[in-house]
Amino acid sequence: MKDRRWIALCAIGLVVLAMMNLPDSASRRVKGAVRDGISPLQAVLRGGARELQDIFRYIRGIGDLALENRALSEEIVYLRGEMRMARELERDNQMMRDLLGFVQRFPNKLVSCEVIGRDSTGWWQTARLDKGASAGVAEGRAVITPDGLIGRTVSVSDRTADVLLLSDPSCQVSVRIARSGVFGVVAGMGVKPGEQPACRMDYVSQTADVQEGDEVVTSGLGGLFPKGLLVGRVAKVEMHEAGLYQTAWIDSAANLGELEYGFVAATEKDLASVRPELPPADIVIDDETGPLEGEEP
Amino acid sequence: MTLLMLLFWLIVGGTLQAAVPAWRHMGQPAFPFLLGVVLYVAVNKKARYFVAVALLAGLVEDSLSLAPLGCSACAFLVAGGLALLLRADFFADKASTAMWFGALCASASTGTMALLLKMKGLVGLSGGEIFWRMAGSAVLGAVLVPLLFGMIRGMERVLGIWEDRA
Repeated sequence: MKDRRWIALCAIGLVVLAMMNLPDSASRRVKGAVRDGISPLQAVLRGGARELQDIFRYIRGIGDLALENRALSEEIVYLRGEMRMARELERDNQMMRDLLGFVQRFPNKLVSCEVIGRDSTGWWQTARLDKGASAGVAEGRAVITPDGLIGRTVSVSDRTADVLLLSDPSCQVSVRIARSGVFGVVAGMGVKPGEQPACRMDYVSQTADVQEGDEVVTSGLGGLFPKGLLVGRVAKVEMHEAGLYQTAWIDSAANLGELEYGFVAATEKDLASVRPELPPADIVIDDETGPLEGEEP
Repeated sequence: MTLLMLLFWLIVGGTLQAAVPAWRHMGQPAFPFLLGVVLYVAVNKKARYFVAVALLAGLVEDSLSLAPLGCSACAFLVAGGLALLLRADFFADKASTAMWFGALCASASTGTMALLLKMKGLVGLSGGEIFWRMAGSAVLGAVLVPLLFGMIRGMERVLGIWEDRA
């Protein structure tokens, strides 16, 4: 009986060791398959959570109105509710217009993605996007929102991509202070007890002109991030104890804690690998309208 | 617990763990949904089921994070092993016991994971930060594990597949 236990323990140990030492490609395939399998459920859950949030917001609104306007009739409450919904729709509409305008302004090809999850262990600051290699998303691409840079893609499966957020200590971005042109590298601070996620720009020369409120943008050096993307603003500047260099603390421009959408800056090469959905060659499209005036047939 | 039921809870646990943001306080520990499922099996089912569940739950958790495959499985085996060792002396069908147990095992799981990630050079947290995070995990484990135990047990009873510990 004791021998069997030892054999079982050894077998378990071997399985775990084998899992931990899988070749990188095999490990990626296994992880990708699990992630792709779970991603539809994550998207549904995320959608459901948003719906619930909207319902609660709506109910809370009605409750407040009822308290404030007890004398008003039900119809007025109903009409106000309708009005609020219309405003919500207007706000959403405006947000969509802004996003569209942003996409049209940006020179790179952008793949719009929805955030469907976070790192399941909490050891890394990551967000999971609902699009992957099949939509033209590749590893090491900048991910942005209309507010600014949020990070870069680190792990891409067929249908999902993980974004290493700016606040993660292993995410480093080459940046420039927009006002003075001072260069530096920003790294995430992770989450410290009692602190919000933030980034830090270390080893800035003691004579460099860095002030609170300065805009920090990507420098384009290194080629990973496109030049000129807003990273954040300088929250405070500290001189090193020995007076050798300065450290600038950066508040990220995008709200990393409440991400809903993101755009992956894809290259032409990334998108070229995506198979376009063309009609089969044997289908002939019959254009009844014929050529336009002045257009060659 | 049928195979289907087991898979259901693993998928739901993994999805919830990736959907619910990590707790901002006490070192940002994640809500231990998957660990809760592993502990439930460790406490209530045969040991061989526990090993299979721990390995599968580890696979799911690592796939949904940047951790190398096998790290979470190792952490779950340590935490669940602790549960297996203590269940005869410790466990009664009470929420308060599940609470203490959840706290102890969540903390052990986080400690093991921290050790493995540090050995691989993947996290740069200090000893104090890891201890703080273990304390945070203990708090979340104490809250979540009794709830999960109740939910899984309730579902098993409703489906008529509840069986006593073997």
